[in-house]
Amino acid sequence: MSGGTPETAATPAAGHPRLGLTRDRRRILYAFAAAVLLFVLGEIVHPGFASLDSVEAILTVATFVGLVAAGQTFVVLIGGIDLSVPWVLNGASILMVTSSLGQDDRAAYGLVVTLGMGALAGCVSGLGITVLEVPAVVMTLAMNGIMEGLTLGLSGGLTCETCASYAPPLVQQAVHGSLLGMPTVLLLWLVVIVLVSFVLNRTSFGRQTYAIGNNVMASYLAGVNVRLVTVLLYMLSGIFSALAGIVLVGFGGQASLGMGNPYLFQSIAAVVIGGVYILGGRGHYLGSAAGAISLVALISVLMALNMPEYGRSIIYGVVILVLLLLYGREEAER
Amino acid sequence: MRIDAVRAAPRRSPALHWITQNIGLILVFVVLAAAIVLYAGIYWLQQDALPGNFELTSTIDNTMPLAMSAVGQTIVVLTRGLDLSVGGMMDLANSLAAVHMKEGPGSMVLWTLLVLAAGAAGGLCNGLLVGYGRLQPILVTLATLSIFQGIALFILPDPGGAIPPAYTAILVNTGQPYALLYLVAVGLFWYAFRRTAIGVSVVAIGNDENAARANGINVIRTKIIAYTLSGFFAAAAGLCLAATATAGDATSGNGFTLTSIVAVVLGGVSLFGGRGSAVGSLAGAFVTTMIVNVLFFSHIDPLYQSFYEGLFLVVAVVLGMAIRRILKRRRS
Repeated sequence: MSGGTPETAATPAAGHPRLGLTRDRRRILYAFAAAVLLFVLGEIVHPGFASLDSVEAILTVATFVGLVAAGQTFVVLIGGIDLSVPWVLNGASILMVTSSLGQDDRAAYGLVVTLGMGALAGCVSGLGITVLEVPAVVMTLAMNGIMEGLTLGLSGGLTCETCASYAPPLVQQAVHGSLLGMPTVLLLWLVVIVLVSFVLNRTSFGRQTYAIGNNVMASYLAGVNVRLVTVLLYMLSGIFSALAGIVLVGFGGQASLGMGNPYLFQSIAAVVIGGVYILGGRGHYLGSAAGAISLVALISVLMALNMPEYGRSIIYGVVILVLLLLYGREEAER
Repeated sequence: MRIDAVRAAPRRSPALHWITQNIGLILVFVVLAAAIVLYAGIYWLQQDALPGNFELTSTIDNTMPLAMSAVGQTIVVLTRGLDLSVGGMMDLANSLAAVHMKEGPGSMVLWTLLVLAAGAAGGLCNGLLVGYGRLQPILVTLATLSIFQGIALFILPDPGGAIPPAYTAILVNTGQPYALLYLVAVGLFWYAFRRTAIGVSVVAIGNDENAARANGINVIRTKIIAYTLSGFFAAAAGLCLAATATAGDATSGNGFTLTSIVAVVLGGVSLFGGRGSAVGSLAGAFVTTMIVNVLFFSHIDPLYQSFYEGLFLVVAVVLGMAIRRILKRRRS
């Protein structure tokens, strides 16, 4: 990577390439290595774990996390965070079935309305953060509550007549089907990975994102429209949460309450495992994607071991702590 | 800015000075008073009477868990950190108490102390990881949240267990608002704590960590103590929650991670550290409860509750910042 990239802005110690790789790229490699290791481990404790079908199933589940993590990566890169994921996702899944009523000819309308809702929620969060200067943690937390209240209230606690609708068969087939010998969900994720990486690394919008994450004041003085970029990033996060909601409801057929809850923790964990710096300015979506895969692989290994919920929960936390201690540490004080 | 304040001080009346210094605290008490008046008004319209002792007691009892967790959260937020593990620690305290506490003063005292010690120990882990590990507080406590929740589920896999009725009577007496005494005690603790070296250090590192370090403050030790106290108060909150519910549930504390942050923010504590008071957070906790009460009595569909809470949170934060900005402009 050349001039103006985040790596050069990091501390001198970060600049020493090992194995000819920058620190950021090493971390992506670690995250992928962890995923591979977990698959090997899974195969050892539970033969058949690394079979093609099983890997495909795990990657499909990882896609849901990965889509949300895409949005989370965008906002974490500017030192923000999106806590509104659970109910934007849940609201989107319910809006998808209630707007399309399970009819194929309404599927396109449902998709547009649902993604638009995600964009709107993100836009409001972004405006609150930039114009009203509410801290991102508070603003997105409040947005989560607002979306929860609206979703529960408008759907009558998911008791409305249209709430029991299924996702349009077209969407269900698209999610379950395969294209060019590959499951469509994975193909979708691949496209998202390529697009997001392209936007972040090869466009001025991406450069501006990294710039804001490294130094807001400097980027403002350099002519970056900080407010606009910030609002757009939160909109992207909302859109990706909504997209995950659509894919999830297409996968499961029907919407349910609370289906978004696991994705807040998992998306942040994926971002962290992938080596994206939580205070912004460093990291790549490829890392978050690898993080999502290793996270879901870890959960699957623990499930294969018949690990009860409490054990999974503890191991989850310990793994994140170990990863943080390995590479999440800040520079020592001067 | 601080130099300006010193220079301007002689020209300003002491009263105005006090107001600008404590604006966050004043705002939250004004909001609380407004909420109480609104609540009493709606209550009067519905019931043709003013809320009495029963309403006062149940409001205080219901707020106790949130109030306790908010005090711990305040100390961490003042250091410019965030403790997301509060909910997990409350789960842990809740299930420990529900499984082990038996009738009889010996068991109740012993397990109260053990649970509080467990909370302090959990907080100590957070503090060590944040202080010596130099890790981001939000990530450390997200990880320990998961760990604490896991341990809580291990101790009490299914909701159940029982809290001795005597314990409930001591901690959150349903007949009389005795719980107020604990709140007063916490308030007194805060005023004492704020004047200790540690209390000053907590605010100092929240304002400017490097400057505090340059002035000889032991940043790592201060952070460790702050997180330990947060764990301690979270455990106390978990005990209150168990006492109000009279039974254990290893997941009932989960929501308090976020509501404790809401109470702190409503209480006028700056999420950027160094500014605020635990007394404000206590008031913030009561504002949160009063909103729920007002919504309940105005017959608003409870399904919309989170919507109004979220909206109120944003409005309160924006208004608070606007008033602070106006005062600052007048000062300079």
